[in-house]
Amino acid sequence: MNSFLIAIGLALCLLVFCVLYRVVFGPGVFNRIAAISAIGTKTLVILIIFGYFYNRVEMFIDISMVYALLNFIGCVAAAKYLEDEG
Amino acid sequence: MIIRGEDIIIRTIARVLVPFIQLYALYVIMHGHYSPGGGFQGGVILAASMVLLYITHGYSEVNRKFSVNIAALFSSIGVLIYSGIGFLCLILLGNYLDYSKLYKLLNVDPAHARSLGILGVEIGVAFAVMAVMFSIFFDISTGGISPEDEEEKD
Amino acid sequence: MEVTLLVQAADDAFRILENARGQAVDLLDTATKLTSDTRLMEEKKFQAVFVGAQKKKSALQNFVVTFLLLFAFWALLSGKFDTFHLSLGVICSFIVALIGHDLLFANLRVGDMRVIVKRFFAYLPWHLYQIVVANFQVAYLALSPKMPISPKIMRFKTKLESDISWVTLANSITLTPGTITIDIEEGEFVVHALSEKLADDLDTGEMEDRVAHVFMEADHIYIQDVLDVSRIFAEFR
Repeated sequence: MNSFLIAIGLALCLLVFCVLYRVVFGPGVFNRIAAISAIGTKTLVILIIFGYFYNRVEMFIDISMVYALLNFIGCVAAAKYLEDEG
Repeated sequence: MIIRGEDIIIRTIARVLVPFIQLYALYVIMHGHYSPGGGFQGGVILAASMVLLYITHGYSEVNRKFSVNIAALFSSIGVLIYSGIGFLCLILLGNYLDYSKLYKLLNVDPAHARSLGILGVEIGVAFAVMAVMFSIFFDISTGGISPEDEEEKD
Repeated sequence: MEVTLLVQAADDAFRILENARGQAVDLLDTATKLTSDTRLMEEKKFQAVFVGAQKKKSALQNFVVTFLLLFAFWALLSGKFDTFHLSLGVICSFIVALIGHDLLFANLRVGDMRVIVKRFFAYLPWHLYQIVVANFQVAYLALSPKMPISPKIMRFKTKLESDISWVTLANSITLTPGTITIDIEEGEFVVHALSEKLADDLDTGEMEDRVAHVFMEADHIYIQDVLDVSRIFAEFR
């Protein structure tokens, strides 16, 4: 089980680096916002995998849920701001 | 029917999610001694839920639930709860925030009284943090003039 | 002689067909008028239900169901079931339900919720199957060397009525790989599809039918079909 989770965690980290390209080089700010939101969803799963390794999954599920909520609210707020004044 | 505005998807999802976000914030406050959380974190999540309602539905929806005047009131109430508990411990012949002296009021043993005292203080902190966060966001986004005053000016 | 009889028979046949056509057009006219009247009446009744009478009785129903839902969510989050934490849960759910009781059920009647939840859980396996199938299609498109995609933006009008069903359909379309809902402009979905095959899969309208079945809407689908057919007939006249 441990090695399976390590493999998944590493694969997700690799995908995060792939999306990071769009954050750095994305022409325009909308690409960057969408890429940050995508990185956020992968961060959730990586956090829960960390929780398995520390044997305290319930604590990390709390943290992941908070980050999911704040990611959503941040994305909506940024989009609203850019719609009105971009 | 009940169809208004252009961004239907964000409005619907926001209005369905907001009660659950608020309940999650209260869960984070109440379980501060056991899992990560506490007063400040729960207050921020509560403020974030009100901000979500504000940016998707406009000022009229938030005004019914949590207007700026109530935010000013809540910040003071939060500080009142915090220092009130402190002074209560002082009155009961202890130090300033020595919660163990509260056991006489609550009929529990002193260790339990410490836990309940911390919970009360966290609730006060959450009130203050939520109110101040919402006021800061509101002031930055509208420049201090509430939309009611703007409408009256027109 | 036989040719004349044949021509006469053809004339009679055509006259009968003309009469039948005239009667069919009249029937469709009456049907259109009736259905548009019923639709108007239904909309007025619907508006009266949701604007006037919903205030008092449904407010209490909304509050109670919101309170129960939130308390179940609290019990799910906090694994402790001793008296102190449960009473805290009751107080917190009460406060949140007091503040936001009109948020969760703005467009649905609470009494419908049992049927809707049951049908929703029956809809999910079909949706998962669609996701898996579309996954394979998009993977084939993305991994083949010349990448035969032909992205197009399609619009379609929907027969769903309330905003929750619109959002459910938009989310279902976006979750299925290959199609993304861009916008909903006044009842018209704007969807970006990655290839012709995915757009055709969406165009059949099966997902829309199933979502309408989940939310118990579009019961008067046949009326809409009659209206469409009558419009076509009016063009032929």
